[in-house]
Formats: sequence, structure tokens, C-alpha cells
Amino acid sequence: MAIIEIHDVKKNYPLGKVEVQAVKGVSFLIEKGDFISIAGPSGSGKTTILNMIGLIDKPTAGEVIIDGKATSGLSDKELTRFRHEVLGFIFQSFNLIPVLNVWENIEFPLLLGKTRITKEEKNSWIDWLMAEVGLTEWKTHKPNELSGGQRQRVAIARALVTKPQIVLADEPTANLDSATGEQIIELMKKINRELETTFIFSTHDAKIVEIADHIIRLRDGTVTENRRRGEDVAASATTVEE
Amino acid sequence: MNKVIPRIALRNLSRQKKRNILLGGAIAFSIMIVTLVNGFTGAFIENVSENFAYLMAGHVFIQGSERTASGKKISAIRDDSIIFDAIANSGIKYKTATRSSEASATLVFEGKSTSQNLTGFDLENSGFLRERLVLKQGTWDAVKAPDALIISEKVAKKLNVLPGDRVTARLQTVTGQNNIADFTIAAISVDSSIIGSAMTYVNLSYLNEAIGLKPDEYTSLNLMLDDLKDSAPFADRLYTSMKGMGLQLFDRNQKNESGSTTPFQAMLQSQNKETWEGVKYRVYTIDDVLSQAKQIVIALDTASTVVLIVLFTIIMIGIANTFRMVMYERIKEIGTMRALGVQRGEIRSLFLYEALFLALGGALAGIILALLGMNILQLINFGMDSPAFLIMKNGHLSFSLPPLRAIGNIAIIAVLTLVSAFFPARAAAKMEPAEALRTLK
Repeated sequence: MAIIEIHDVKKNYPLGKVEVQAVKGVSFLIEKGDFISIAGPSGSGKTTILNMIGLIDKPTAGEVIIDGKATSGLSDKELTRFRHEVLGFIFQSFNLIPVLNVWENIEFPLLLGKTRITKEEKNSWIDWLMAEVGLTEWKTHKPNELSGGQRQRVAIARALVTKPQIVLADEPTANLDSATGEQIIELMKKINRELETTFIFSTHDAKIVEIADHIIRLRDGTVTENRRRGEDVAASATTVEE
Repeated sequence: MNKVIPRIALRNLSRQKKRNILLGGAIAFSIMIVTLVNGFTGAFIENVSENFAYLMAGHVFIQGSERTASGKKISAIRDDSIIFDAIANSGIKYKTATRSSEASATLVFEGKSTSQNLTGFDLENSGFLRERLVLKQGTWDAVKAPDALIISEKVAKKLNVLPGDRVTARLQTVTGQNNIADFTIAAISVDSSIIGSAMTYVNLSYLNEAIGLKPDEYTSLNLMLDDLKDSAPFADRLYTSMKGMGLQLFDRNQKNESGSTTPFQAMLQSQNKETWEGVKYRVYTIDDVLSQAKQIVIALDTASTVVLIVLFTIIMIGIANTFRMVMYERIKEIGTMRALGVQRGEIRSLFLYEALFLALGGALAGIILALLGMNILQLINFGMDSPAFLIMKNGHLSFSLPPLRAIGNIAIIAVLTLVSAFFPARAAAKMEPAEALRTLK
């Protein structure tokens, strides 16, 4: 069952007096519980597509359907609420809130919106997440007291705290050394298996791409490859052309 | 609105400490200055009135005015028993009742002369004069002499007199006849103010004789109360009580006519137009005489508010620029928050809360500094002979800060800070999350 449907999505950006086409009519489906990598070189449109799936950017044309809901007609307020309830975000530069400690950073999304859980439920859930990402000892530390890998672990816990159906990670390993990067991807994969959360991450690292169950390759704003792991590359190219 | 937004706003103040300390310091400084001025003006009217009350020996005054058959007005109270009955009937309490007479006179000594207002008291038993008047030359023992005269330093210099010298006073009796009386300089007082230097004190019975009144008659009954603030209600109750006893009274609430600067002057101007038979009384308070001082207070208060607004306009520009800078510095953070589910309104609130906390912190520090300053300034003793004696309390600067005024100042600062932070806050809230996250800052 497709949790995300991308239909002929285009995105143009104004660059001075001209318009640049960052995404040129892309279509694909993402299944629930998938661990997907969107791969491609810089400027291929990875981040733009992730932003549109994450509802933080609007397509110039086409439709993004998430969990069966068309998103093009939603107001900013509705989009924000939808993001909060359905999506989780992991950023390349971790993007933690510097004045909050580890525990508070993870708790932050839970304090937004209208959904409320009991204090006990919240505490045990955050504690579980902290244990899961291996940061129990660091709960009172501020982001500037953590290493890059630790910060990204906090970001992963924060992305999962609202129990979203989809987690989007834009180049989550780009600011980490390769060993730490692999650990982060392994952690994401582990959580994907345990919680059945759909993970979509963008990367330009060929080694990391292959860990995904489903690979979408982009070049110059178009899909050049869309296949599940183990599927024939040639066959997938044919599918895209269709 | 959830609590996490104000919590983050408060903690954000700890980022860029130097910048926030400077901004908060500027707010604190402006609030401190304005609070000091407000505290000073708050006590100003009270001090002036209290000091005048001592110089004039009362808070509430009753004067009698007789109209003769020929239409001449004589200022005199010949029998005060009915007044004291009225006071007793009104149920009001006073500290002291002092009988005094006044006369305009020209003092002459060895070819030199000057105009003075002679005030006759029972000098020997006048406690308040001894408290407030600082003698430069002569002694209080010398004032026991019936013809004793206490003159100010400036007037003494003008006449070139010393204690023991005898001066001649040219004056008019209550019926308008010219008369002459000789006085002996008993003491020379320190010039404590313009008014202080214009006051010349003599013995009541001796002055009465010179102006044609009997020893037990006088022109004004001066009542000193426990609290200056009771003056107006006291005067109103006394007025009603005297009216109830059938006494003729001049209206206490005369409308200011052109040329009259105080309610007391308005009362006098109106009396000139009235006709009556027998004695008609006027009841007035120290505030009626000193309403000009209130105008000074209003002027000072207005000036301090203008200063607050000018100072704060400068600070507002700083706050607006700072918050614009803050917005650019935190652009990625704003994008992250928006992506995580923070609504536009909450981003705007985040900035506004931060501005509000900065304003409140600065204002609170300013008020504390002002209170400290007031306490320190109050310790300095300028002495009773200070030229600014009239605006001081027992020779010390005194401050009285109405709480509502302080709250008002804080509210002005808070509102202006919010206004200055509003536009950067709105710009931050309007930012598209993807655009904010794309920034390289």
C-alpha cells in the first residue's frame, strides 16, 4: 500500500530574472514501512523532492498525496498540523534547538499541536527513545556539548517522538565521518524494522544508498532509476520511462 | 499557547549575552531616570505644601472679612468661639490652631527701605517656626520682646541691619489708615527660599496694636492637621459645618477667572464683586494657595514622560535592528521549528516573548536602581538653610513613587518594546520553512 504518491511533480525556482526547473515532472510511489534512499549528485533535486514530500515546500505543478490525502489545497496551518502529526524530520546539520538540552529537544515536538499524552507516558516514551539512540547518559547536556553523531541521534529521537508514519532525512550522514554515518543509517534501519516507520533519506554516498530497500536515483530533476533492492537496474529504467 | 515557546524565548536571552545586557541596560537606564524624576515630583508637591504649611503655620486657614457701611472691607476675626464650635461640630481633629495677623509694610532703616509682609504670631510659643527657621544671627530668647522682629538675611542685608537695631514699619491699619510702628531686630534668619526670604515674623499682639486690632483679635486662624492630605476634606467639612451654623461664607469652589492663577486668588477676586453685611468667612487650604506648585509637578511629569518616550524611541530603533539581526541569525532554527510543527503565530510569539522578557527585565532592573538611588539621595543632608529647602523634607531630598506610575512606565516600555519587535517577529513568522532551511547561516 502506497503511503506517498508523487504525481508529475514539478518545481521551478526563480534565479534572478530566469526560472530554474529543479524538478521536471517526477512521479513515483512509496510503500508504507519502506526504507528508501533518494540518491543523486548535488543539484539533482533530492532536497527539493524531500521538501515537497515533507510539505515544507509546494510543487509548482503536480500532486503530492500522503496517506491518501492530497496536500495541494491545504492551508499553511493545516500543512503545519499535518507535518506535526504525520512526518518526522532529520536534517543534515542536525538543527537542534541550542537552548534546550537533549531531553527537552526530544520532547519539543510533543509540546506542539493539540495532541496530549500523560506525563508518565511521555517520560517513558522519551526514555525509551533515548535508550534506543544510546543517549540516556546525555539527557541533560546541551547540543553544543555533544559530538556530531550524538547530535544526529538526538535528531533521530526527536523525529520519532510523535510516532510519525514517515521520517524524512535530508543527507543525514553528510556532516559525519563515514563510520558514524553508517552507524546512523543502521540505527534508522533498526527503528524502521522495530516501529515500521517509513524512512526516506537522501544521500549522494553510493555505499549508503545500497543499504536501502528501495532506491530512487535522480539526475537533473528527473528520476533515472526507481527500483527495490535486488531488482534489475535495466528493468527499473524501463519502468521509469513508462 | 503552549509553555515551551515562552520557555525558549526566556532562554534565548542567554544567547548573545553582551548584546542583551546592553539593550536591557539601555531600558533600565531610561526607566531609572524617569522613575527618579517621577519619585521626585511625587514628593515635590507634598514637600512644598508641608514646608509652606510650617512657614504659614497651618494646612487649613479661616479668615474673616467685615464689610463696613461705607463698603470698606476689614480683614479680622474678632470672636472665634463660633468657629471653634463649628470645628467641634464637624468632628474633625487638628494638631494645632494658631492665630495670626498679617500686614503689608515698608521697613525703613537709616534711609533704606524695603517692602515686606509682616506675619504676627505668638513667637515665643510657636514651635513650628523654631523647627523650620534657621537663625543666622540673634537668638530665640530675643524674640520674647514684644516688638521683636525676625527678618531674613537678604532683607537684613538690604536694610543693613543687625540684631538689636530698631527699624520703622510704615503700614496701614485694617481700616486703611496709615500708621507707623517701631520694631527691634531680634534675629536674622537664613534665606531658605524665595518665599522664606519674603517672610518677616513679629509678635501678634504688637502687630495687632499697629494695625488697629485688639490683642485677642487677628486676621487668620491657621489649623495644622496630622496629615496634609486631609486638608481638602477637612476644609470641606468645616465649610459645611460653618454654613450649617448660619455663618456667611465665600464659595470655596470659585471658578478660575482670567488673571487668577490659584483657587485662592479666584476666591479673592470674586469677593471683590460681592456685597454682604457683617462678617463673611473664607475657608481655604494650603493647596488652594499652592496650586501653581501642582502645575510645576504636572510640567515635570509631562517632561519626564517625554524624556521616556524620546529615550525609548532611540532604544526602539536598537531593539528593532537587534531583533531583525536575531531573525537572520536564527533563520535556520525558525525553519526547523516550522518543519517540526510550530505554527506561524507561535514563531511570532517566540520573538515577542523574548522582547517582552527583555523589556520587563530591563524595567525591573531600572526600578530597583532608581529605588536604590532614591534611598542614597535621601541620606544626603542639605540642611534646613539650603536654597532648595522648600522642595525638601527636613533638609533631605525626598521621593515618593506612586506604584501606578511605576507600573505605567513599565507598561509603556513593554508596549514600545513589543511594537519594535513586532515587525521582525512578523517577518520571521512569514518565512517559508523550506526557504529558511535552505539558508547557509
